[in-house]
Amino acid sequence: MKMIFIVFRKELLDTLRDRRTIISMIVVPLLLIPILLSLSTQMFIKQEIEAREKTLKIGLVDAGNAGEFRNLLLADEKIQLIEDLTPVQARSLVESDDLDIYFEVSRDFDRRISGMQPGRITMYYKAAGDRSIEKRRAMAFVDNFEQKLMSDRLRELGIDETAMKTIDFHEQNLATVQEQMAEAIGGLLPYLFIIFCFLGSMYPAMDLAAGEKERGTLETLLTSPAGRFEILLGKFLVVVLTGMLTAIIGIIGLYIGFSQIPEIPDQMLKTILLLLEPGYIIMMLSLLLPLTIFFAALLLSLSIFAKSYKEAQSIISPMFIVVIVPAFLGLLPGVELNTVTAMIPVLNVSLATKAIIAGTITTFDLSVIYVSLVAIAGISLFVCARIFDHEGTIFRGT
Amino acid sequence: MITVNNLWKTFKLDRQQRKERQNGERSRVVNAVAGISFECKPGRIFTLLGPNGAGKTTALRMIATLLKPTAGSITVGGVDALKQPNDVRKKIGFLTGTTKLYERLTPNEVVKYYGDLHGMDRVQYNRRKEELFELLGIHAFARRRIGKLSTGMRQKVSIARTIIHDPEIVVFDEPTVGLDVITARHVIDLIRSSKQSGKTVLFSTHIMGEVSLLSDDLAIIHNGKLCFNGTYDDFRNSMKSDSLEEEFIRLVEEVE
Repeated sequence: MKMIFIVFRKELLDTLRDRRTIISMIVVPLLLIPILLSLSTQMFIKQEIEAREKTLKIGLVDAGNAGEFRNLLLADEKIQLIEDLTPVQARSLVESDDLDIYFEVSRDFDRRISGMQPGRITMYYKAAGDRSIEKRRAMAFVDNFEQKLMSDRLRELGIDETAMKTIDFHEQNLATVQEQMAEAIGGLLPYLFIIFCFLGSMYPAMDLAAGEKERGTLETLLTSPAGRFEILLGKFLVVVLTGMLTAIIGIIGLYIGFSQIPEIPDQMLKTILLLLEPGYIIMMLSLLLPLTIFFAALLLSLSIFAKSYKEAQSIISPMFIVVIVPAFLGLLPGVELNTVTAMIPVLNVSLATKAIIAGTITTFDLSVIYVSLVAIAGISLFVCARIFDHEGTIFRGT
Repeated sequence: MITVNNLWKTFKLDRQQRKERQNGERSRVVNAVAGISFECKPGRIFTLLGPNGAGKTTALRMIATLLKPTAGSITVGGVDALKQPNDVRKKIGFLTGTTKLYERLTPNEVVKYYGDLHGMDRVQYNRRKEELFELLGIHAFARRRIGKLSTGMRQKVSIARTIIHDPEIVVFDEPTVGLDVITARHVIDLIRSSKQSGKTVLFSTHIMGEVSLLSDDLAIIHNGKLCFNGTYDDFRNSMKSDSLEEEFIRLVEEVE
């Protein structure tokens, strides 16, 4: 035990003096994440506001037959109407972003409307998804216009507008605000924590195994009275500690980041603050600890196998994807925590964190997760110890 | 005292290594050490001489318990190296020419680390450290990071690290390789002073000058086998060539 502590103390000192570790453990989560989070959110909000407030440039392709539709477009202060365009001109202007949208009104539009038939309006726009604010604003305009035409027609026909309504539909979301927030940010947080744990373990693991081997200090250490397993455990504990510290610093970094965004919804900030309560922190860390043990054993095993730091980097870098994929799966809608997913490392932590934030975690699911994580961490450590004890691996490349 | 008896070490070769073998052998294994026996006595310097790839490092690594022998036995200071490797490591100091130090630590921290690993108490450690730092002139740079030290300074720290626990047996694997003349002199002095203080000294080299300068006992190793084992005086007296180099080459060629 004393030997393990001696090795641990020295490795920790050595690791804390490594610039790469400090950058990945402290600088990235504590400075870079809040700055990026704050900047990207503020930029997103600014763009959203700009898109909502800006004057829309709308083209109208008609043959003087758009009637009331044209008048309403002209009357809207937040619409700049460009007229007398051919379809080809209008299309080209949208493609070159000189127009946000253009409407093409069918030649018989006015006639059909006055004949109480539907008149055709085609909207042309350029957007990769359905979330374009410009499109939504134009759609709302068309919907209002249609609603107005409908009211006029019904009045003309002497029909009560309410008689046309068959269902008085209402909806109410019974999920608690906490559950809704868990869905909105609960997927992102575990994803970040898992990445932090992995990143925080990665550089020390590479440095303390492949790095030490490459620098020629491992051979010297192996001639000391410390046993191989004691040396491994000393290094392993440092890797676990840095992984956990990175996650903790990451939580602090995220909190700082979110609290720096003035426009953040109160409920979201409240949910994040909830995460900083001792009970939540203990539960989160108790999940991250076995996962970090698994990461540490896996990374040390791969690192000790490598001949050099560079080779360790090339072996370990693809592992990042192996970690990201299950962490990302937890973000997908429909992927729920159940007995099967509770046994898949990384994915189980991702889903459990989400459930913890939502307050829907069950003791059974939590137990399955702990058992599976502790088992996989134990197996990984055992394999790591076997690899470290194998002289062919230790002296590979020497 | 080190006693090595009929020591063997066989390594499996990977495909690349099999391809690279010059003699065209198709064997899947190589005997890096093939049945060597020798004895290193206290107060004497035992030199293991051999060309590169002869098996010197493998033999010394087995003595230092870094590698497990395929067959044979090793006793270090009366302790069986196979059964009690941790106890053997308490008794030895091991220094190689390629020994590196932790760049981000200071000489103070490195030497303390090895003192702690050898279970030295504070009083014992401080006394020994003062003695060594004074002798080697480390005090002037004891608080600077190793990464900022010159090769000579680093080698002094390596020496202090190797003998901080005052081992009864010191093993040097080609300790002067890559060192300049002045730095190499520190190592040579250490080997001599170890002998004078009654320690068992085992060192390997391929440099003839060091053999004549230091050896009391000598073993010549080639292709994992010993082609001479006796005192240095016996070796000189039985020489059939004019110089040490020529005699060494003659013996090596004889066993090929």
